[in-house]
Amino acid sequence: MATSLSTPKLSTTLTFQTLSLCKKFPNFPSYQFRTLDVGVFLSSGRWSHSFLRCRPITTTTPRAESTNGAGSEPARNYDFDLFTIGAGSGGVRASRFAANFGASVAVCELPFSTVSSDITGGVGGTCVLRGCVPKKLLVYASKYSHEFEESCSFGWNYETEPKHDWSTLIANKNAELQRLNGIYKNILKNAGVQLIEGRGKVVDPHTVNVNGKLYSAKNILISVGGRPFIPDIPGSEFAIDSDAALDLPSKPTKIAIVGGGYIAVEFAGIFNGLSSEVHVFIRQKKVLRGFDEEIRDFVGEQMALRGIEFHSEESPQAVEKSSDGTFSLKTNKGTVDGFSHIMFATGRKPNTRNLGLEDVGVKLTKNGAIEVDEYSRSSVPSIWAVGDATDRVNLTPVALMEGGALAKTIFANEPTRPDYRAIPSAVFSQPPIGQVGLTEEQAIKEYGDVDIFTANFRPLKATLSGLPDRVFMKLIVCAKTDIVLGLHMCGDDAPEIVQGFAVAVKSGLTKSDFDATVGIHPTTAEELVTMRTPARKVRRSVPEGKTDSEIKAAAGV
Amino acid sequence: MASLGRKMLIDGEVENSNEGDVRYDFDLFVIGAGSGGVRAGRFSAQSGAKVGICELPFHPISSEVVGGVGGTCVIRGCVPKKILVYGAAFGPELEDARNFGWELNERIDFNWKKLLHKKTEEIVRLNGIYKRLLSNAGVKLFEGEGRVVGPNEVEVTQLDGTKIIYSAKHILIATGSRAQRPAISGQELAITSDEALSLEELPKRAVILGGGYIAVEFASIWRGMGATVDLCFRKELPLRGFDDEMRAVVARNLEGRGIHMHPQTTLTELVKTEEGIKVRTDHGEELIADVVLFATGRAPNTKRLNLEAVGVELDKIGAIKVDEYSRTNIPSIWAIGDVTNRVNLTPVALMEGTCFAKTVFGGQPTKPDYVHIPCAVFCIPPLSVVGLTEEQAIEQANGELLVFTSSFNPMKNTISGRQEKTIMKLVVEAETDKVLGASMCGPDAPEIMQGIAIALKCGATKAQFDSTVGIHPSAAEEFVTMRSVTRHVDAAGKPRTNL
Repeated sequence: MATSLSTPKLSTTLTFQTLSLCKKFPNFPSYQFRTLDVGVFLSSGRWSHSFLRCRPITTTTPRAESTNGAGSEPARNYDFDLFTIGAGSGGVRASRFAANFGASVAVCELPFSTVSSDITGGVGGTCVLRGCVPKKLLVYASKYSHEFEESCSFGWNYETEPKHDWSTLIANKNAELQRLNGIYKNILKNAGVQLIEGRGKVVDPHTVNVNGKLYSAKNILISVGGRPFIPDIPGSEFAIDSDAALDLPSKPTKIAIVGGGYIAVEFAGIFNGLSSEVHVFIRQKKVLRGFDEEIRDFVGEQMALRGIEFHSEESPQAVEKSSDGTFSLKTNKGTVDGFSHIMFATGRKPNTRNLGLEDVGVKLTKNGAIEVDEYSRSSVPSIWAVGDATDRVNLTPVALMEGGALAKTIFANEPTRPDYRAIPSAVFSQPPIGQVGLTEEQAIKEYGDVDIFTANFRPLKATLSGLPDRVFMKLIVCAKTDIVLGLHMCGDDAPEIVQGFAVAVKSGLTKSDFDATVGIHPTTAEELVTMRTPARKVRRSVPEGKTDSEIKAAAGV
Repeated sequence: MASLGRKMLIDGEVENSNEGDVRYDFDLFVIGAGSGGVRAGRFSAQSGAKVGICELPFHPISSEVVGGVGGTCVIRGCVPKKILVYGAAFGPELEDARNFGWELNERIDFNWKKLLHKKTEEIVRLNGIYKRLLSNAGVKLFEGEGRVVGPNEVEVTQLDGTKIIYSAKHILIATGSRAQRPAISGQELAITSDEALSLEELPKRAVILGGGYIAVEFASIWRGMGATVDLCFRKELPLRGFDDEMRAVVARNLEGRGIHMHPQTTLTELVKTEEGIKVRTDHGEELIADVVLFATGRAPNTKRLNLEAVGVELDKIGAIKVDEYSRTNIPSIWAIGDVTNRVNLTPVALMEGTCFAKTVFGGQPTKPDYVHIPCAVFCIPPLSVVGLTEEQAIEQANGELLVFTSSFNPMKNTISGRQEKTIMKLVVEAETDKVLGASMCGPDAPEIMQGIAIALKCGATKAQFDSTVGIHPSAAEEFVTMRSVTRHVDAAGKPRTNL
């Protein structure tokens, strides 16, 4: 790198490339994602349920790069067109696609380990090694205890109670993770992306240092993801996070899970299914802040029925280790002891420390997330960021979308903004949740007049098994346009069921479109196309007057 | 209600409009309280019509003289079948549990009688619920056999043999259908799906004749419960009418799960022997079975309805001919559901029943819409489809088709070690980008396909699928992440490239 930068001010050396890119994007300066709005919005809940909109920004101030002298700098040669730091979902996707578009690409990643740290990681990233995949494998394993129970009513007999061997599961899980790690490496290799093992650090807007070796790149992508965060309370060193919980040497006998988010409820289900005693401590009254209120109530009830003990409105104050080796958790309400494990599922933070970002002028939010525009570009034009490191919507498929869009934007001459409208998501609690679009609360706020259709029923399997399992479904419909604004479900197969509906919701389909679709019988999903009568009509302006006739119309009789 | 009925007459829908003064016992009399009949009866009553309905007494195995409120779906079809599929699916599930760390006995006992008992309890419960639905809607239920004795008259033979005639402005025939037996020597030794759902003993060795959805579902049920199953069918692949590629997938999966497949095979003779029923095939093979199931089609229940006497036209297999509004050639007589042999699915009968009630009593003539009806086959793993098969698309579409397929190892199998791929397929019209057909064979396919069906019904494009973010990790997300075309097919039907 020719110019070394001592201030975060943008270097003139990078203007040539970026400007030439910008010329191809006439929309670039006029449409910007208002990261502030989004940030505020997202901080109110983990997911973006909302149809986030890109709004034209009226400011006339041109962006930094377009004011710099075009063509005043000679073109220069870089080692790579793109250097990606972090080979997780977003980084691998962006790198592969960029390479497919003809770019020369390198990606660096820390050595493989099931538990992440400043010096360990692994190709595949959180999703493959410490998130979605191992989590789901453990969910599969833990669901069996419920299935054994169900199966008894369907005629299956167990001479001896099925017992679970934790080490078999963990060994098989780790073998699978190794396999996936290998597959991801191959994917990179086959795409012609050079993989460099080591910790990458940004030295200047076009240089990355990996283990002391410098690589220059026209563009740098930061896709370093996030890591679990444990609050600093006395004894927090005794607590484990989700990384460790996915790879424990032995199964907890009694575990305290602190937190009410999706990670907390998923692990509560896992350990409960594998017959640990599970206590969940949540600061609020209910789990899953940001989700639809009825879903929050419903999933809490169903989990409690399966034996999980909730301690609501309890904040952790200290963890103590007793002489017998067990742990106790002190909260604002009292102390519970005898835990073999205490797990904190208290949020995740972007992995942006010690990356050299601040030194080259990349702006971070106070949470440490990289601030990016709607094309995932940071405040330094040659540095981009996707995925959890940007703390937008922290989901694998979103990181994939951002990575794909980025490759198109930079290397395919096709400026592409990730589209955050109607992103579906799932929680693999037991029972699981699937959802897409707005919650009732958001819909009322945004649209005022909405019709709410709900179903709460015992599925066919439960009527046979006699277990107290139920299914809850909800459609939120805009009263004025009939458009389905949100769809929420908690019950068996919810994540699988919701995907197809997400296509419908994303496409802006109406309740009448749902009604016109014939059901698949007998399924749970058919209930979502056979909801005839609204459970309630929320009207912001006019008090309910013509409810009767409207209900009849909706009932289609 | 009368005024609604009259409005319909004034609208010219019924030509005998000068009979306005005739008083009938009922505005509507329904023969048959299955899915279609109950829906039409209830919805008509909710529109203000006075409705009567008759149904045969309850029995799990149907005949000319027994049936039951709820009909085939609830008593001898969808519901009990699905219960048995649930029961059977535990068999392979439990095997899969071992690699997830579960220590189970080498052999896990399965008690068929217990499941049968539970199943019967459940359908009795549902039978009661359906009766309550009718009474809550104000529909009068008569137990007995109904016959049409005039364009506006139904005769009900009660259980004690007495006959009562009711007059009705409209008569709706919703008597459904029943399993048929082929004329094979020794056919009386075989059973149909009715009996198969209520067998006293679980067969150890079963032979199934037929390649339709009922045949493959029972093959999966008995195999899952540990029986040896031989499936004989006339074509090269089971499930005629479904997408050929998916048919091959189902055949492969059934075989993979241990079902003996006998394509292009029919049965010639059944003989009772000491060891069981000796089954001879047209290939000269001999199989010994405890149970032989004929899953060789169903025929409409029209024989004892006296329809010829009033001139209601039937087609050559005995289905009642109806127009787009489900009306027969006799204007006061209507028919819906399997008895009309249009699309024989419960949700379609429900749709037809709803449209009937709207048309006749809601002042809103409504045609059932048969475009893009999704459906499912509950073999293990299940198949579900909506829209056109690739073969139909080649026939119907103009220009080039893009076929996207995805074949993958479901995540659960990575640990369980089960060797079975999930297959998904989208058929897209190149010019319009419209998704013409979707299919899937794999766990949860029927649940996954329902939402996809809405998208297809509304003419969704492949771009709209692509713009939908996936739900990770799920099987369903594959439907929105199929990026590269598997093959191009031109209008002439020949693959142009094969990538």
